[in-house]
Amino acid sequence: MAAPIRSMGKPTGDRLSCNTTSFQKRSRSKLVSIPGTRPSVQNGQLIVSTGVTSLDYVIGGGLAVGTLLLIEEDCYDSYSRMLFKYFLAEGVVCGHELYVASAQDLPDDILQELPSPILDDVASPKPVESQTKSCDPDSQDAMKIAWRYQNMPKVQMALASSSRFGHYYDVSKTMDPEIRQAAKCHGFYLPEHSSTLTSLSPSATGQSPMSEAYSSLLNHIQEVIHREGFDGSVPQTKSRNILRIGLHSLGSALWGDDLCCSDNPDNGHALTTFLYGLRALLRSSLSVAMVTMPSHLIQNRSLMTRVTRLCDTAIALESFRGSDKETIPLYKDYHGLLNVRQVPYLNCLVSDLPDNKDLAFKLKRKQFTIERLHLPPDLSETVSRVAHGGLAGAAVLGSSGCGSGTASNKHLDF
Amino acid sequence: MLLEVLQGTEAGGFILIQDTVKYSGRQLLKSYLNTALKREEEIVHVLGFETSEDELRDGLDKTSAQRLHFHNAYSDPLGWTANSPFTVHQFTVEDISTLLKQTPQAKAVTLVIDSLSWILRHHPPAVICQTLQALKKGGAVRTVVGLLHTDMHQRGTVGSIRHLASAHITVAPETRGMGAVAKTTRRTKSGKLMQDEQIFSINEELSVTVQSKHSHPGRSHNNTDESEVDPTANLTFNLRLSDTEREAKEKLALPFVFSKEKKSALLHPGPGSGRILYEPDANDDYDQEDPDDDLDV
Repeated sequence: MAAPIRSMGKPTGDRLSCNTTSFQKRSRSKLVSIPGTRPSVQNGQLIVSTGVTSLDYVIGGGLAVGTLLLIEEDCYDSYSRMLFKYFLAEGVVCGHELYVASAQDLPDDILQELPSPILDDVASPKPVESQTKSCDPDSQDAMKIAWRYQNMPKVQMALASSSRFGHYYDVSKTMDPEIRQAAKCHGFYLPEHSSTLTSLSPSATGQSPMSEAYSSLLNHIQEVIHREGFDGSVPQTKSRNILRIGLHSLGSALWGDDLCCSDNPDNGHALTTFLYGLRALLRSSLSVAMVTMPSHLIQNRSLMTRVTRLCDTAIALESFRGSDKETIPLYKDYHGLLNVRQVPYLNCLVSDLPDNKDLAFKLKRKQFTIERLHLPPDLSETVSRVAHGGLAGAAVLGSSGCGSGTASNKHLDF
Repeated sequence: MLLEVLQGTEAGGFILIQDTVKYSGRQLLKSYLNTALKREEEIVHVLGFETSEDELRDGLDKTSAQRLHFHNAYSDPLGWTANSPFTVHQFTVEDISTLLKQTPQAKAVTLVIDSLSWILRHHPPAVICQTLQALKKGGAVRTVVGLLHTDMHQRGTVGSIRHLASAHITVAPETRGMGAVAKTTRRTKSGKLMQDEQIFSINEELSVTVQSKHSHPGRSHNNTDESEVDPTANLTFNLRLSDTEREAKEKLALPFVFSKEKKSALLHPGPGSGRILYEPDANDDYDQEDPDDDLDV
């Protein structure tokens, strides 16, 4: 097989030599360069960060511009609210425009709670520290076990891509008002908008399947997108920007929706119709949206599945607070579980799923991290390895170093 | 934590008391009323659907009774006689705020709803949620307290209302003894969550005493097990090392260990090891250029 290739290659040799090489550096100048965005490694889509580096990794690099991220809230909306704020804070730091809609809190109140960005690298040298500690010459009484493997690289638990994208935030501090006010923000607070709308035309909106609250929200988003030129109506000379849309607790009773209250909601199509409209808007404009929903309150499972299908990316948070999972030793280092319900298929047939489905998250002061869930070594006397076989097998996938150790047998051999 | 919620140390918000037919939460609600009335400069409005005024006032502190305003919706809740003081249809933000304005202004106003279950039967739940949220945000009322009989409604309705609450207490009878169990969940403004389960009892003067913390059976078992087991007690073999044995152990070089000596021995070959001697030939094509020119070495 080698010979024909060589003979084919020869006549073209002269041409190649003047061109030096066929490899070309991929130039980014062809793409629109907007701060806080970069082309995706997988499919070349323009992506933005969610504000949480490990979440970016889980959903395949970041959020593609023009797509919709659904976050199913945890029971008390504490961690999903955190993600919501991270998303908006990332927008402020990158200089994007924001659009915040809520029926619960005033958009300005939400913006005042944004976490403060850590602009110099503080979080990165951590893994190195732990590695050196493990390689230290052990004290006298320490047993030397599996010394063959001590020089092997440590398996990184936290998920993160190699290159830096997105920022870290300090949850304990709120963002400096100066930074916050530099970003342009559009707010939508339902109680303010609904009162004006009912006085205008109560009969006209009665015909559409969308409820009044949703249609006014959609109209408002559309108006902002047109007015600020995110739909491409602005001439190319003007610098372009991304609109980050954050919709808080959509589908809850405060939006006037009875999805949460009954098994067979009267206006079950209201939310799905709204999501169709929102998606169409997003696809044709330079915007990206995050929607949170209290899915634990929604009684109708099939409706939730329909909503998930309408979003591009969907993740669900399950907090351990207040559930019996809090006492399980496996979960003691974490604050909750994270389920990736759906990842988008953009310009391709397959999307890259995270290699491990068992993900857990924890909220530290300076970081929201998503990690692979793994089983700690069980040191108690009465361990039945057979019973835990399924879970242990899942953990081994993530840690290649000690795979043979767990697979051996249940007694210690001397 | 039950006492903290009842005493209103963390002011503001919406407190939900959930009960079932097995144990009534009204005593707890009255206890809250009593402590609220004892605080100076606080006015309490009660929307009473389920008890008469006399029944509610019974047992409450007499000295501060004029600061309790009872809006009677018990005698005629649906307004059939056309001169009802308060009807269920008046449960809107506008009507309630006009009610609150009729009384002299005070520093703090507490609105007690007895009970939400009655209102939920005549309004769609979404509307009630919006009204409660508006009352909470509005500023006219500092604290909204509602009683909800959870076994009367669908799970989703209860969940939606609980979702709005900044603190909720679920009461249930205790399996043995006279007290009751209260499961308290409180959400702070920063989004932190606190939970507690306590056994309490309410006496004649409506004061709540917490008897004990409800212990989790699972956790206590773990503690007892640990102290008993000592696996190194009777062993047939030696686990300890004598000094000579330890010395011998440390002398041993383990295979595959990359020590410092080994590394230096590989990098700096000592005398006696082999060397490569090369003398350039005339025909040698020696490249003058540095092959690593393009690298930043």
